[in-house]
Amino acid sequence: MTDATDATGAEAEETVLRTTGLTKRFGAFTAVDRVDLAVDRGEFRSVIGPNGAGKTTLFNLISGAMTPTEGTITLSGADVTDRSPAERVGANLARSFQLTTVFNGLSVRENLRLAAQARDFGGMSAARRLFADPDGFEGINGRTDTVLDDLGLRPVADAQASDLSYGDRRRLEVGLVLATDPEVVLLDEPTAGMSGDETDATIALFEDVLAEQTVVLVEHNVDLVMRVSDRITTLNAGQVVATGTPEEIAADDRVRDAYLGGYTA
Amino acid sequence: MVSGVQLLDVLLNGLTIGMVYVLVAAGLSLVFGVMGVLNLAHGELLALGSYFAFSLVTGFDTGGFWVALIAVPLVVGAIGAVTECGLVNRVYGRGQLAQILLTFGLLLVIYDVKRFVWGTDPKFYSPPAVVDQAVTLVGYSYSGYSYFIIAAGGLIALAVWAVLTHTRVGLVIRAGSEDREMVRNLGVDIDRYYTLVFGAGAALAAFGGVVLGGYQNVSLGMGNAVIIPAFVIVVLGGLGSFRGAVVGGLLVGIVQSAVSTFAPTIQGVVIFLLMIGVLLLRPEGLFGGTGEGLDAGRAEPSEFVSGLGGGVLTGHGRSRLGLAVVAVLALVPVFSGILYSGFVVSLLVTVLIWALFAMSLDIVLGYTGLISLGHALFYGVGAYATLLSLLYVSPSAFVALGVALVVTATVAWVVGHLAIRVSGVYFVMITLAFAEIVRQVAVRLDVTGGSSGLFGAPEPLYGIGGVGIRFSEVLVGVEPFVFTGDALFYYFLLGVVVASYLGVRRMMAAPFGTVLQAIRESELRARFVGYEVRSVKRQAFVVSSTLAGLSGALFALYNGFVAPDLLNWINSGNAIIMVVLGGSGTLYGPMLGAAAFTLIERQLSAVIPWWRLLLGTVFVVVVLVLPKGLVSLPARVRDLRAGADGPPAPTDEPRDAEVGPDD
Repeated sequence: MTDATDATGAEAEETVLRTTGLTKRFGAFTAVDRVDLAVDRGEFRSVIGPNGAGKTTLFNLISGAMTPTEGTITLSGADVTDRSPAERVGANLARSFQLTTVFNGLSVRENLRLAAQARDFGGMSAARRLFADPDGFEGINGRTDTVLDDLGLRPVADAQASDLSYGDRRRLEVGLVLATDPEVVLLDEPTAGMSGDETDATIALFEDVLAEQTVVLVEHNVDLVMRVSDRITTLNAGQVVATGTPEEIAADDRVRDAYLGGYTA
Repeated sequence: MVSGVQLLDVLLNGLTIGMVYVLVAAGLSLVFGVMGVLNLAHGELLALGSYFAFSLVTGFDTGGFWVALIAVPLVVGAIGAVTECGLVNRVYGRGQLAQILLTFGLLLVIYDVKRFVWGTDPKFYSPPAVVDQAVTLVGYSYSGYSYFIIAAGGLIALAVWAVLTHTRVGLVIRAGSEDREMVRNLGVDIDRYYTLVFGAGAALAAFGGVVLGGYQNVSLGMGNAVIIPAFVIVVLGGLGSFRGAVVGGLLVGIVQSAVSTFAPTIQGVVIFLLMIGVLLLRPEGLFGGTGEGLDAGRAEPSEFVSGLGGGVLTGHGRSRLGLAVVAVLALVPVFSGILYSGFVVSLLVTVLIWALFAMSLDIVLGYTGLISLGHALFYGVGAYATLLSLLYVSPSAFVALGVALVVTATVAWVVGHLAIRVSGVYFVMITLAFAEIVRQVAVRLDVTGGSSGLFGAPEPLYGIGGVGIRFSEVLVGVEPFVFTGDALFYYFLLGVVVASYLGVRRMMAAPFGTVLQAIRESELRARFVGYEVRSVKRQAFVVSSTLAGLSGALFALYNGFVAPDLLNWINSGNAIIMVVLGGSGTLYGPMLGAAAFTLIERQLSAVIPWWRLLLGTVFVVVVLVLPKGLVSLPARVRDLRAGADGPPAPTDEPRDAEVGPDD
């Protein structure tokens, strides 16, 4: 089953991220099994599924942390299956991490500046790369300032990342993704370990700064997924069980079976 | 034509020394497997065993040997156990750099204790006559003592194997070397076994030392001679694998023995090539488990980095202080020979050369977080290239410097290309292996002057195309302020060092330098925000190594000779010490560290015979009390006055996200 067949939009929108027959095997175990995914520009897509369904592996394949056993990944029509994570960032894809992974010893501003600088770095002349003053890069610094303001990190801009509160660290985690100026954002359980209030704040943040973005979200918190998603893909045992709007997914028996293992009340 | 007797000789020689390797490597490997500690001082424990045995045998004759065989491993094992609970346990979970510094410090301390007690002359003792006579079997005669070593070593190895496989303690140790965290999660208090494992490892090494001392001789260098092959063996066999240590030890013994008989020209190089091959093709070693590779490559806590927060003064105050230091340094030759002897200038030349060397290491160590134990390779290559250029290309110092820079950069690019593919403790090992290979080549080639090195180069001409000056031929100044050749070189050197510092400082603030720091903080994240991490690390390696080559070249210009000892890994270890002693990730810290180190080494060695002991103790104290180095001292004193106690606790939080197979 492909997404194209159950797309809900009246007219076919532009597909920006597509996986075709994506498969990852670890020995005899198939973690991701022939997954076809088509995410439209501007869509907020969530991937849910029980533990061990293959969500994280799917994420690792799309972001380039792992190479697939079979299948292809395209970004805006370009095949990136064999590209490095850095090249995928160049192709407008960025990911966050479930466990906060920021540059602990550096300031918040420096963290974001590094992310904002990444895409330009490869194209800099050796002289600029080795000797230029970072203050002279207006585009990069402008982007850093925008993200500082968008995520409300301005007050802690000069604090060392390791000294931040948990909530600020999680926001910096998302900020590192946004600072690379991506078209497609992969978010790996952004509310993991958050309190109810923090989760609400995160949802508000998504609605605010990710409104224009194409987002693929892996999340355990089903309530959150139902609130923010345009469409939801459910995985079970590495395979796509169903894709649809939150309402469709909530009403889908196959999804219930996947979560409850066939148990019916 | 190779005879059967010759083959048997080679095999038995190999098994004899191989069995000693097994005893050393087994302890090294288990200690790494269970505690994650790479013990650089492990070879010194073997040497300690040999010296104790020497004293017992000279004191009590034949009986002494048998007593030594039992008592020495127990005593050294106890020393190991005490060291573990007193010192080594303070660095668990603090990353490889802390362990390397601490165990390197211990190495120096033990080395000097031996030198202090037993002196520098090699010592000899014979095993009891009952085992020390030729044994003839089926017409083939061979040393009975070798048979004894093989049998005794084999029995010990068998006993260790039995303990590991048939007892509960062994089960915990084996499980711990597979996955320490898992064992802890299962509710087993693995930390309780650390002292036991460390002590047992020390005892095994000491047993090896007792038998080896009767086979060869007992010398100060024997720990060093054994630890390098032992590193190769544990990497070959897989870190933490006992079976790997046994197979690797025997294999390396036999290969060394065969090569020294059949292909002596490549002796010394072969095992390192073997190790590099294994690291690149099968990084987990021949028998390594699957989990260890991940564990060993894990990112370092950056508690040693003082780039942020740990430094002295403000940026402005610092540059004024720096200017003042340079001004004072510039004045030193003026009063040389008037207020103090000319020796001061030559001492400062050494300081400046080491300062440049240490600063170059800081680029990879402090800024990028790569621990290279092969940095002396580039220092040595730069020095050799300079002397060869002076001898065979042109007497011009500038041509020689150019040649040195090009040659070192090329070597660095090749080594970096291969070495950067592995990380963590494997990177430590592979850089060490490359340095040893080059040292062995330098010792063996005629063009590099063999083991005595190169000398007799013409005095360098500071100019090009035959136009220029020779420092010894010009006389500058008015009496009594006359600048000698030494002083002129000193100014040249000072200029090069200051210019290099300013250039590198600029580089570390530029986009390139900021990416290096990102890699140090989280390589994973750097990759996923869009940096080609491997390529950037390689560039850092080349820049750093080329500067190290420059410092080596300046050494050669000044001294007019080079020797293979420049390439010794101890120099690489010293450079790491200088960087951390001063304060890594600051550039000026390592230069300060180099100055402190050189002054301690040069000045103390004249006054205090046991200066290495003092130096080693200083390192141990720095690791434990002042991890951010001398430059953090003012801030630390301030903190202590303000009532904050203890060094800042390292962050417990996992620094890298899992990229595991599944949710």
